[in-house]
Amino acid sequence: MDSNDGVLSAAAKDASAAFHWEKFSECMHVLNQLLQNNGDDPKVLHNIAIARSFQDGCSDPKKLLVSLNNVRRRSIELAPVSEEHADTVSNVANKAALGSKGTNSVAQHFSTANNSHFGYGDKLDTSVTLINIAIIWFHLHEYAKAYSILDSLYQKIEQIDEGIALRICLLFLDVALASVDPWKFFDVLNYLEKACCVSNTTSQIGSSNLEAKSSSLPIPSSAADASESPLSRTLLEENLETLISNIDMSVQNLAGLSGLQSTNNRTWAPLDHSVSTSDLRLKLQLYKVRLLLLTRNLKAAKREVKMAMAMNVAHGKDSSMALLLKSQLEYDRGNYPKAIKLLMTSSNQTEIGISSIYNNNMGCIYYQLGKYHTSSIFFSKALINSSSLRKENPKMLSTFSQDKSLEIIYNCGVQYLACGKPILAARCFHKASLIFCRRPLLWLRIAECCLVAVEKGLAKSSSAQSNKSEVKVRIIGNGKWRQLAVENGNFGKGDFVGKDNGFWGDDKEPNLSLPFARQCLFNALYLLNCLESKYTNFASPYSSTSEENRRKNSDNKSSSVSDPKGSHLSNANVDSKEQKGGSAPNATLQSSILNYEEICRRENMMIKQALLADLAYVELHLGNPLKALSTARCLLELPECSRIYIFLGNVYAAESLCLLNRPKEAAQHLLIYLSGGTHVELPYTEVDCEQWRVEKTVDLEESNGGFLNSKNSSLDETQDVVFLKPEEAQGTLLANLAVISAVHGDVEQAHRFVMQALSIMPDSPEAIISSIFVDLTIGKIQEALTKLKQCSRVGFLLGTSH
Amino acid sequence: MVSEQQSDSLMSLLNAGEHRLLGEIVADFNSKFPGLLRFVLCSSLSLLLENKKMLRPTQRLVALAILHQNYSSQKPSSNPFISLLVNAACDEEAEICERAFIIQLLGSNNSVTTTDHVFPFGINCSFLLVLKLSAADFIKSFDPSSLALPQREQLQKQYCNIAHPEPFNCLFKNACVKNVVPDPDLPPGCDPNSQEYDSWLFELQPGVKPKIGSGDRDQMITGLLQNLSLEGLGPRWIRPLPPRLPIQEGELVWLNPANKHELLWDYGMCADTSRGAAVRDLITKALKGPLGPAQQEQVLVELTNDPKLVYHCGLTPRKLPELVENNPLIAVEVLIKLMNSPEISEYFTVLVNMDMSLHSMEVVNRLTTAVELPTEFVHLYITNCISSCENIKDKYMQNRLVRLVCVFLQSLIRNNIINVKDLFIEVQAFCIEFSRIREAAGLFRLLKTLE
Repeated sequence: MDSNDGVLSAAAKDASAAFHWEKFSECMHVLNQLLQNNGDDPKVLHNIAIARSFQDGCSDPKKLLVSLNNVRRRSIELAPVSEEHADTVSNVANKAALGSKGTNSVAQHFSTANNSHFGYGDKLDTSVTLINIAIIWFHLHEYAKAYSILDSLYQKIEQIDEGIALRICLLFLDVALASVDPWKFFDVLNYLEKACCVSNTTSQIGSSNLEAKSSSLPIPSSAADASESPLSRTLLEENLETLISNIDMSVQNLAGLSGLQSTNNRTWAPLDHSVSTSDLRLKLQLYKVRLLLLTRNLKAAKREVKMAMAMNVAHGKDSSMALLLKSQLEYDRGNYPKAIKLLMTSSNQTEIGISSIYNNNMGCIYYQLGKYHTSSIFFSKALINSSSLRKENPKMLSTFSQDKSLEIIYNCGVQYLACGKPILAARCFHKASLIFCRRPLLWLRIAECCLVAVEKGLAKSSSAQSNKSEVKVRIIGNGKWRQLAVENGNFGKGDFVGKDNGFWGDDKEPNLSLPFARQCLFNALYLLNCLESKYTNFASPYSSTSEENRRKNSDNKSSSVSDPKGSHLSNANVDSKEQKGGSAPNATLQSSILNYEEICRRENMMIKQALLADLAYVELHLGNPLKALSTARCLLELPECSRIYIFLGNVYAAESLCLLNRPKEAAQHLLIYLSGGTHVELPYTEVDCEQWRVEKTVDLEESNGGFLNSKNSSLDETQDVVFLKPEEAQGTLLANLAVISAVHGDVEQAHRFVMQALSIMPDSPEAIISSIFVDLTIGKIQEALTKLKQCSRVGFLLGTSH
Repeated sequence: MVSEQQSDSLMSLLNAGEHRLLGEIVADFNSKFPGLLRFVLCSSLSLLLENKKMLRPTQRLVALAILHQNYSSQKPSSNPFISLLVNAACDEEAEICERAFIIQLLGSNNSVTTTDHVFPFGINCSFLLVLKLSAADFIKSFDPSSLALPQREQLQKQYCNIAHPEPFNCLFKNACVKNVVPDPDLPPGCDPNSQEYDSWLFELQPGVKPKIGSGDRDQMITGLLQNLSLEGLGPRWIRPLPPRLPIQEGELVWLNPANKHELLWDYGMCADTSRGAAVRDLITKALKGPLGPAQQEQVLVELTNDPKLVYHCGLTPRKLPELVENNPLIAVEVLIKLMNSPEISEYFTVLVNMDMSLHSMEVVNRLTTAVELPTEFVHLYITNCISSCENIKDKYMQNRLVRLVCVFLQSLIRNNIINVKDLFIEVQAFCIEFSRIREAAGLFRLLKTLE
């Protein structure tokens, strides 16, 4: 038996070596022999799957996933056997324990806890299989799936072999970043820094510590001596007195010793094969920059990216990644020319994967510059690059993760929407929903596509709605029989509801319509509420994403403060030094995450306002004034609601109330803008619009004015976001007040309001119609006719064919 | 919407009043147009009737007949146009002839059902006398002297006696006015109220050439039929389109190259399982009895050399008490190494619940100085110590334990492991209870100095 084991392990070594030197066919050969000898060993099956995927290029990751999951299942199937074994052992012990003290509740925990305690080098340890599964999910952009696997692995990271644990952590960093979970990222980063001693400050102190005590390593005579003397005596009860006097003394020795040991314990000695410490240090530095960029702490990001550049130079490493991050930093700061320059120097565009990234980022920059046409050219170049990447052979697993076409397509969608091409934009968003379907913003954008499409008369199910921007007058008859019929347009019609239930047409393309917009808005609201409840549940400093997170974090916090080597070393100044140096950078990370959460909360509020306004509008259009009313009220009740949206909420609520025959309440929504009886205030100011348009978190001292201004001016020349000017909003209020007065029967007041409205916006078709209505009600037919004939926004159509 | 063809055919029905029987025209109307459209057409007709000069007298009669007959199978009160008919019948300014016509129409209902207002189904228009005439004949044969015009109240009571529930309509619609405005295209200076303006004079005198601006009345009426809407023209509410949300910071996806994550080979395949076997054996032994110094050292060295070994050495929380009792120092080392393990709290729970002994106290004492223990754990442990002292019956053993606990507490206090304030009352009571013991008195003095 033993000799057989020896043979097997020798063969396994051969296979490993062959794998290491990338001789995959040889490797497969050995593995197959192993399989014949040892048919059901999950690890052999696992390595066969891995080797095969390397051999023929990983063209079908899903297949690989299936075989890895089989391996995992196989391990679990085999597991109960060993568990039983463990149980019989522990049962004996349990009886003994019960005899002395009945701690049943505790005892029950054990049996569950035992499951994770496989024997060392156990065949059934699945951590490698699991991380490989997570790696595949990561490459397939399935971050949530990768996340849950990694999270469970991370829970018992201490038990996992160092090399694998490092891979788990590095992968987890990427996954946490991709799934926008800064707290988890922070957590893992902290852990890695501590475990690998790569944080600058810790490593200094750690090493000095090590040098000071290294003579006593490993656990050698001196330490043993110190503890041995009391130990030998404790066992002799007679020597109680000495023991008592010795407890205090031994404490000192032990403290020193164990402090040292535990440092050692958490240090991953010069890590395995592929990753050198300096590489790792640089990697973590870049990760830190990425977190800071994510959390928009641009100042700190600037500092850290500088450090990364310095580290690059010191080690003579390729600095393209650092340059790219620096370019992103300048992009975030709004310094677009510099961002372009850095982007150009950062990349060698020969690699297709890189050039798609380069083109996409260029597209982002030009979009921000307001040059939509140029940006669309870059985006489409980026898409071409990624599609050629997909065709590349042989396929490696990384080609899947390099393919960022869905992200680029989202960018395209944003750009199309800005250019007023809602159908193209919706098509892009629909494709991007594969990865972004959990983002409220995506659904809001699709709904916006619908609104634009309906407005432009492009929507499929909208009734042939002619240009709303003018009043149509039909001329009927001629001569003295001539009559003018003022068309009432789409007034009060709620018949957009397409009969087709499927919003996605046969060609899997969104069927832009208002009911579809409503569906999208509901999706977005639902997702947003999920996010909100997440934030309110964890309002404490660690408002993180999950309970475990919080627990983990606080554990870390307490252990970092009380790290054995820290507080109990008699050397107080080492202690304070470490506190200062060790926690400072991570305190920055922590505070910028907290800041970022606040930013996210504010952003979500903005999105929510837009969602509710859109929804109220859509409900009005669909003829559901009751729903529109409750939606508008929700909007008005939002805390920190922008004045623009308060205006919209009031107007929508007033219209709903009118439609519900509650004119008095409707009037109240508009009368709040009335001051001094007849004067209507501006519902919002230019400043409000400005703030709403550029919700930037750039600190002003950093961005010395110049480029921010240039950005704004460039925004103006584009049609990025069009909305009523404050005066037009005022006119809207006046015109609507006129309507309310008119239906109230106060024609005189209606006349006054509508004339004011017309003086502000003489071209508004609604105001013209209202004024004609007022004239006709009073009986001033001639005046109405004159108005109709004089107004430039009236189109005359011949009524009948002759 | 009424199509051009439909309005033309309705127009021809109106014009047929000159020669066809009204009954035929009404029957034609019923057969030519489907139900819902009939209502739309009727309402257009009612609007046309409002302007007395728009339709010729025969056309008006046809229109009135249609309005009445279209609903003749129901109670008059459920005819939506009944009040229009009643009003027209009482209109002092209207032609007498027309008023008489309406009264006959309404009366035809009465003649069938005299007392109650329930009408049997299948009432045929042919029963009605007036319908057996053409409109032109009715006008010609009309004898104003034979007519007694009833009062408005009487008619209303007779025909409109059932109160209609007001149909729900939004305010905007209630406030509507007719959306058609006459805009006669007349030569300047021409008075629309002059004789010439009286429409039918032109056409009744075929020899006279129409003047400029005469226009074509029929064309106008068909046009109106197509464009009149029941809704009319109301004031128009401005519903501003909500603005597109400005692009959010970070919404455009900036790309960074992904880090390489390659699949891992499992080097644990067929691995030598003897790794750590020695320590596992030793730990098993250590549960049963004290290890010799050399064995102890071996365990400590191996645990130090392989940091992960502690997770695989076969120790579980359940087995901890035995290890503590037999090899406290190894227990301390193992626990220190397990500090980062997720199971450490279970180990603590076991430790705090095991029998109080010298060894367990020693383990806890050493742990407190080596690592940060959860405060609750330390407090719970102290409380257990104190209650154990109180519960021991054997005086000798009690003295020993109390001395031990006192030294333990002093050590904790001196090393700032515990905050005395948290436990002050408990510890003070303990000191007073055992003040006969030297160490307890010493602890008491220590407490006093800290106060």
